[in-house]
Amino acid sequence: MMKIRFWGVRGSIPCPGPTTVKYGGNTACIELRFGEADRIIIIDAGSGIRSLGNYMMQKDLPKGPIKTDLFLSHTHWDHIMGFPFFTPIFIPGSKINIYGPVTFEEEGLDKIIGDQLSYRYFPVKQSELSATITYNQLRECEMDLGDGIKLKTKYLNHPILCLGYRFEYEGKVFCTAYDTEPFRNLFPTDPEDPSYDEIAAVEGEKAAEEENRKFSQFIRDADLLVHDSQYTHKEYLESKLGWGHSSFEYAINSAHKGYVKKLILFHHDPLRTDPQLDTLLEEYREKTKGKTDLEIEMATEGTEIIL
Amino acid sequence: MESEQKIQKIKAYIDKMPSLPITVSKIMEICNDPRTSPADLNKVISVDPVLMGKVMKLINSAYYGISQEVTSLVRAIIMLGINTVKNLALSTAVLGTLGSSKEFQALNMEGFWRHSLCTGVTAKLIAKRRKADQKTLEEYFIAGLLHDLGKIPINNKLLDEYLLTMRLADRDHTPLYKMEKESLGFDHAEIGGMIVNTWKLSQDIYNSVVYHHNPLAYTGEDKDILYSVVMANYFANAFEMGFAGDRYPEKVDPEIGRYLGITLDHLEDLEDQVHQEIEKARIFLKLTTATGASK
Repeated sequence: MMKIRFWGVRGSIPCPGPTTVKYGGNTACIELRFGEADRIIIIDAGSGIRSLGNYMMQKDLPKGPIKTDLFLSHTHWDHIMGFPFFTPIFIPGSKINIYGPVTFEEEGLDKIIGDQLSYRYFPVKQSELSATITYNQLRECEMDLGDGIKLKTKYLNHPILCLGYRFEYEGKVFCTAYDTEPFRNLFPTDPEDPSYDEIAAVEGEKAAEEENRKFSQFIRDADLLVHDSQYTHKEYLESKLGWGHSSFEYAINSAHKGYVKKLILFHHDPLRTDPQLDTLLEEYREKTKGKTDLEIEMATEGTEIIL
Repeated sequence: MESEQKIQKIKAYIDKMPSLPITVSKIMEICNDPRTSPADLNKVISVDPVLMGKVMKLINSAYYGISQEVTSLVRAIIMLGINTVKNLALSTAVLGTLGSSKEFQALNMEGFWRHSLCTGVTAKLIAKRRKADQKTLEEYFIAGLLHDLGKIPINNKLLDEYLLTMRLADRDHTPLYKMEKESLGFDHAEIGGMIVNTWKLSQDIYNSVVYHHNPLAYTGEDKDILYSVVMANYFANAFEMGFAGDRYPEKVDPEIGRYLGITLDHLEDLEDQVHQEIEKARIFLKLTTATGASK
């Protein structure tokens, strides 16, 4: 049995307030628990990880030191900002393995994540933490995490290196695909364009098509897919191309084509209010009614799904 | 200095080989400009053999762990994003500031650059004429662009010896690679092979770098790219587009032309197109001298 609980579902920046009460204002953090042993894996350390840390202090610490793996989709701030407030890092005996991709030429993961804990930003320095923390740079790969948990990762399309995660456990598949937008040809295809280059135009089309096909394969047959849907298709086309986020429409289409059973629309725009998300969900459910078996939900802070 | 010592000196240099000084300022400008388009980025990397080789190396390195070999820069930009590729290019360009045009004394830097670019462009146009798979055209270009890479470390680390080698080759009307072998104990094709191995570039690039003066010694199946580069190199020399030190190059074995189905007339037809492409690159890099023979 795989249990998935959402502690942060918002994109970009935490946005608490009266308009985000229902779906939640914390940034990305997802808790996974596997089997009887209750092994804990966390995806992302957005502001939601603060509450998860407090919950683990109550639920897990009394049973023994906290051990967990933290997988970061990427190192943009909304996905790492909660780390200094994750209480288990201050507890002697805690063991936290952090994994994530690092864009070339930046410093290592230890600096990128850990330097948030330096006096200029925070009252405690990384070197003063009591927990044992390891940092592991992650690539596109397949990993055996032990206890029957298999992990596959895939590079997504975001302004910095970003990984999607596919966990397989006891025949069930849980997949994340954020932050990402569809791969597209970045090279001009209009021969009139001054930067037009025929080879680049053709190669660009092919490369984008192949990457999208690989992505489709990556999410295929997932029992649960958590997909970026920061924008509507209209917003995306109007002014958000190249920002590294998807539309609701693209997420739904991808999930449907990939035979996904349940789709969670994730990484809500900070400007999106609860009533707007309600309306959008209703609209998309209505539009897809009778055309797909796909179950569609808006990611909601605090909800739990069992696979 | 013994041949082995020279090789050691070159090996040490290859490990931190800088980009061509000629393109560095443009790379910095393009990569530091937030409005840079993928097309501009592609263009700036495509005109520098060292940068192109290094970026391809990094993309295919364990750093990214991509299981399928990425053989085109366009694909790399789409897969990894413009920012990642910008970072890769910048990191190489920063190394480039360690090199200076003073180092380019035996070889004329701009002449070398033109010769490399001309060979790349011509190899691509030959492939196009032969209706090679559109998807592979960039590989032809890269192989041509990089074919003389081995001359850079020799030029930069063994300057006096290389100047002498070039003078001897001129005096005796001997192809440069033969004189290199005679006076240095190795030639630029061998050194190029070392670079390609260090950077772990593709087999086709390796073949073009190592066998471009001795293509019939290559016994493998993938002759198309190698032979096209050989022909393109001959064209660049014969039509005096740029100059990479080889004043008396060998004639191409007729077998190469037969295999490719390409004659000298065909190559002549390409001249204008090649000039245009080099001219575009020259304007892009804001070089001052006009395209043409710089012999």
